[in-house]
Amino acid sequence: MKVEYLTGNYAIAEGAMTAGLKFYAGYPITPSSEIFEYLAKELPKVGGIVVQFEDEIASINAIIGASWAGVKAMTATSGPGFSLMLEGLSLAIMIETPLVIAYVMRTGPSTGIATKSGQYDVMQVRWGAHGNYEIVAYAPWSVQEAYDLTIKSFNVSELLRIPVILLSDATLVHLWERVVMKGPGEVVIVDRKKPKVPKDMYKPYEPDEDLVPPMACFGEGYRVLVESLTHDERGYYKTTNEVQRKLVWRLVNKVRKNKHLVVDSASYFVDDAEYVIVAYGTTARSVYALVKELRSKGVRIGLFRPKSLWPIDDDALVKACSKAKKVFVVENNVGVYVNEVCRFLKNKDVISIPVIDLDIPSPEDILNVMREWL
Amino acid sequence: MSHPLDRYLRTDRLPHIWCPGCGIGIVVSAMLRAIDKHISEGHFSHDDVAVVSGIGCAARATLYLNFDSAHVIHGRAIPFAIGLKLVKPRLKVIVIGGDGDIAAIGGNHLLHAARRNVDLTVIMVNNMIYGMTGGQVAPTTPPTIYTTTTPYGNYEYPINVIKLLSALNTNYVARASITHPHLIERYIYKALSIEGLAFIEVLSTCPEVFGRHLGFKNAVEFFNKLKEMVRPYEKPPIERSDIVWGNEIVIGEYVINNREGFVRSVYKSLNKWCKG
Amino acid sequence: MRYELLVVGRGGQGVLLLGRILGLAAAKYCNLYVTSCESYAAETRGGDSRVDLILASSEDELDYIKVRGADIALFLHPNSLAKFSNLLKDRSKVFIDSSFPIQSLGIRNVELIKAPYTKLAEKELKNVRVANMVALGHLVGTLKILTQESIERAIDDLVSTEWRDLNKKAFKLGVRITNDEH
Repeated sequence: MKVEYLTGNYAIAEGAMTAGLKFYAGYPITPSSEIFEYLAKELPKVGGIVVQFEDEIASINAIIGASWAGVKAMTATSGPGFSLMLEGLSLAIMIETPLVIAYVMRTGPSTGIATKSGQYDVMQVRWGAHGNYEIVAYAPWSVQEAYDLTIKSFNVSELLRIPVILLSDATLVHLWERVVMKGPGEVVIVDRKKPKVPKDMYKPYEPDEDLVPPMACFGEGYRVLVESLTHDERGYYKTTNEVQRKLVWRLVNKVRKNKHLVVDSASYFVDDAEYVIVAYGTTARSVYALVKELRSKGVRIGLFRPKSLWPIDDDALVKACSKAKKVFVVENNVGVYVNEVCRFLKNKDVISIPVIDLDIPSPEDILNVMREWL
Repeated sequence: MSHPLDRYLRTDRLPHIWCPGCGIGIVVSAMLRAIDKHISEGHFSHDDVAVVSGIGCAARATLYLNFDSAHVIHGRAIPFAIGLKLVKPRLKVIVIGGDGDIAAIGGNHLLHAARRNVDLTVIMVNNMIYGMTGGQVAPTTPPTIYTTTTPYGNYEYPINVIKLLSALNTNYVARASITHPHLIERYIYKALSIEGLAFIEVLSTCPEVFGRHLGFKNAVEFFNKLKEMVRPYEKPPIERSDIVWGNEIVIGEYVINNREGFVRSVYKSLNKWCKG
Repeated sequence: MRYELLVVGRGGQGVLLLGRILGLAAAKYCNLYVTSCESYAAETRGGDSRVDLILASSEDELDYIKVRGADIALFLHPNSLAKFSNLLKDRSKVFIDSSFPIQSLGIRNVELIKAPYTKLAEKELKNVRVANMVALGHLVGTLKILTQESIERAIDDLVSTEWRDLNKKAFKLGVRITNDEH
């Protein structure tokens, strides 16, 4: 264990190295470039490779290739870069490739203000790529959590053979905070499971009971077949309803059925809360301050904070809001994640509180918008 | 009864999807002979070979090959292959694809792979058309020719990938043709022993959606026309690499350089730390 | 324990380094929780630079990342004082570099602590660029929230060997102002 003083970007890079990162490919983009620069300096010291590619398309495909060569791989980007990565993300989902994308949100649409923050892209992360799939995305609210959830992102990606997104924002990655870093043996590190059958019996997409197939990689003698087309358990292209249904449902269900291993959330002052605010990422920091202030004035208000945005910890959400008369969803965008919250709180009065701020909505600004319902 | 090259094929997946008269099979079998020669000479083993492809008719080769193989997305075989090669330098990584896959949508990746001199063997089967999607114009389609997206004739000029890569000091740049299979084999054999990027363009025929547009009644007629145009040369000058349909098409080994490959550069910089 | 601390200066005065040394010393060597955000104008020189630091003894006390009511403020240049006065708490301790002419401050109910950091750095150390460390010494010496040793270790971590001694000297010079006052 080691205490350091880091920015969010450095903590993500450190978390990745703690998790066992060995290959990073990327393209410079504000506000994520410090992850890249930090790793370019530090990763070679532990035998890892860092390469700058010609664009984000190449970057994500290179980490997919590296992951299939048997190592933990990641890239970092922001909105415009993530848009370019979407076809690669879809490929990674289809061919069940463990990898991590550190997505640092900035303002949009388009180039927006590259250095400034927002939470505009939470739906892009969920729905941006083509095809049907479940995505796993974590939203840290502190530098410590950026470190911890980066490790968790790698663990979940290896466990389920999926791409995982660590979704932060420009404000968090430039924030300096105290971080407790873990040494070997101080934190659980998950590695993808390997085949247990003889090489000639191995089928690259034949799942175990947990719906996750063991992963043989290139150069291990299994003659693996990576297939972006709809495929059966051998990886053979098939054009039947049966194979399509089986594949798509398994890809979706391996996340849904293992949801308990993925979801993460935190609740504050919710036990007797008449009002609950749902907030995530940096915005939740402002909401936490506001909730404490309102509590001190006697308002029975609480905070529910999804750490896994996708999928949301719906059981904990429902529990946190069980006594609530009103639920507010505060976001630094036009109000998009509120729809996901509504899905699980059908009989509740759920109110969207969108507060756009280039850094982070202040508690005062949030209260000003909320006041009419309190 | 089995063929000696069957061990390199997933024979249970045959027959393949390629049309009668298509040139891709000739490229793939030449490639397998070149690989087999290396393996039998003990240069590397069957499990050291990896093949990566994108999308298109030629890219479908990976479906039938009994190596570690990846059939990824359109244009992106090269970046996937680079990630793979950097992590496992022991692997002989071959990228195979069509002209659309490698020179159009994947053109930028090819260009930067050449600049970096990444240790890959890239085989671009050039049939001058988008075959799998039904005969649309390619960046290699000769001017004035009918395609389904240039119904009044192609108004563009084709890219000369040989010239492009020579400008980037690629270590090995050759052009072959399905009309001369022994040269395809010889060039791929050489490419597989070379450090840095080795690029081989193989001229091929698509009798279905290109040959017919050109007015050839059958695959043989089209093949014979290509054979008539193609002339092999020893180390031809780069100036002679332009393709003008109807004129002589020069094939041969255009560029042989000896620049340090990307893998060696990367690991050299890495070793500073590993030793320290 | 929870303190909100605001450090403001002009680009080039070393506000960001000062903030990082404070934060690192608190987090790594004083076992405190710290949140710090930096903001600065696009120019490297001139324009306001600002560091917001929140120091707390428990993680629960950290929430909103910016200063809303500074318990402590340090102005390396008096020009920006009026602009930030709304961020100062009643009875907050406000350190100001008095090397520059201070006009009407327009703030009340604060404890003004003035010392000529820049002039001291120039006179005693022949280098105005370490005025920030003189100010840091004064701040740390007066407040006694962080130990002097923790700051010196943070300077070791963050300042290149070439400039380390000078920065430490400047820091100690600042601490001495405090002692002289008492």
